[in-house]
Amino acid sequence: MHSDVLVQLENVSVGYPRHVVLAGITLGIRRGTFTGLLGSNGSGKSTLLKTIVGIIPPLEGKLTWNPEVRIGYVPQRDLLDSIYLLSSLEVVTMVTKGEKQWALECMEATGSANLARKRFSQMSGGQKQRVLIARALATRPEFLVLDEPTAGIDPGAASAIMDLLDKIHEKRLTILMVSHDLALVRGHAERVIWLHNGKLDEGPANEMLSRERVLEIFELDLG
Amino acid sequence: MAMLREILDPNFLLRNSVHISLLVGFAAPLVGMYLFLRRLVFMGVALPQISSCGIAFAFALQGWGLLRHAHETAGERALALLGSTVFTLAAIAVFAALERRGRGSPEARIGAFYVLAGAMSILLLVKNPFGEHGMLDMLKGEIIAVSNGELMFTAAIFLIVTVPIIAFRKHFLMVSFDREMALTLKKRVLFWDALLFTLIGMTISTSVLSVGPLVTFGFLLLPPLIAHQFAATMRQFALISSAMGGLTAFTGFALAYRWDLPVGATDVALLGAVLAVSFVLKKLL
Repeated sequence: MHSDVLVQLENVSVGYPRHVVLAGITLGIRRGTFTGLLGSNGSGKSTLLKTIVGIIPPLEGKLTWNPEVRIGYVPQRDLLDSIYLLSSLEVVTMVTKGEKQWALECMEATGSANLARKRFSQMSGGQKQRVLIARALATRPEFLVLDEPTAGIDPGAASAIMDLLDKIHEKRLTILMVSHDLALVRGHAERVIWLHNGKLDEGPANEMLSRERVLEIFELDLG
Repeated sequence: MAMLREILDPNFLLRNSVHISLLVGFAAPLVGMYLFLRRLVFMGVALPQISSCGIAFAFALQGWGLLRHAHETAGERALALLGSTVFTLAAIAVFAALERRGRGSPEARIGAFYVLAGAMSILLLVKNPFGEHGMLDMLKGEIIAVSNGELMFTAAIFLIVTVPIIAFRKHFLMVSFDREMALTLKKRVLFWDALLFTLIGMTISTSVLSVGPLVTFGFLLLPPLIAHQFAATMRQFALISSAMGGLTAFTGFALAYRWDLPVGATDVALLGAVLAVSFVLKKLL
């Protein structure tokens, strides 16, 4: 594997036992890139993302991580409903070795330090997302992976989250983000991966999000 | 006041019953809060029932002549603990395996196990000349005749359970609340889950053996239900749950002693009353 590549998938099938979601996927995520992963509902975006970060093992093929890569993962917020009792500082500190100061610094970096003592469950969608990004940063990642970070958030908060991701990216962090929002991805990602009809298409954002390509993909998806 | 002095007197006849109630009251909520936070409340109901079915089964083995009858109390207790622990841990393993397969409704599975375990306990008991009397007392939550040995044994098991529950709480929190994050951080999720449920199983089987399934369920879940309304952090949640359990265990014992009531049922009824009051207080605050 090239040292510039953080994660490499070669002919990988992803999904669950007795249910293959995507097959024959070959993909490499390069160091320092900001990539948007797009596709319609049920196209396998989240399953692919979870395979890339190691939550779901590949059904077939070869998945290789760069040995030094540390992955910071930001899951979908609604999956974390069960942590309703925890304060946001506890949510962040959970992934550190009790380093409260470092957890607070990460919250400061994402603009959520003022929410440290507030219960996670009592925060708005945008606030929760900032806390979850702070938590991912607290693992000192080189590669930040986000599953729909702007879903269900009002446009202003979503735009602020994307600006925050831009700032994080400027510090040489590699970012891979699942999204439904073409406009948000267009304004921030350098590369785009499309998933449609069980196939993967990858390239520079301006090319992958051109009017012709988007129409082509949606026509394919619509049938 | 005179009654309190009597209960606190080191020579009080039922002092071991007070101590064992306090042990269960303080320790059970510490593991029960994980069942509560993982939304496994039904499991907290079913496991004590399955655990008591294990005790009934162990005694039935004697009744059927498959095991030699243990004449001394320590032997009977060891047998009961073995039955209780094996059934509890086996049930946890079966629930986990079915959960991983992801088919059917978890509530329906747990409910089915609960009623079957209850029915089996009764059937095994009515035909068993050895275990019936003690088991019926236990099922009713009569915490009266507790020997020094039983008390020491229960204290030792709860110590073994409580130390790792406190020491490894960060790991348990991580695998309980965010399994996916734990996997991306390359945590040994299966190991920590298995350890947590083994500790939960040990607590339940020991507690059922000491105070019966009803009281075990009450102390596993009602103190965390009360505490979560007021706690702002996990530490507060654990402290309030445990303190509430211990305090209610003592008060319940005193009330039961004062009015000659069964201790277990009094404890649980008192916990229910505290829960109702705490709910109203929370609404008013």
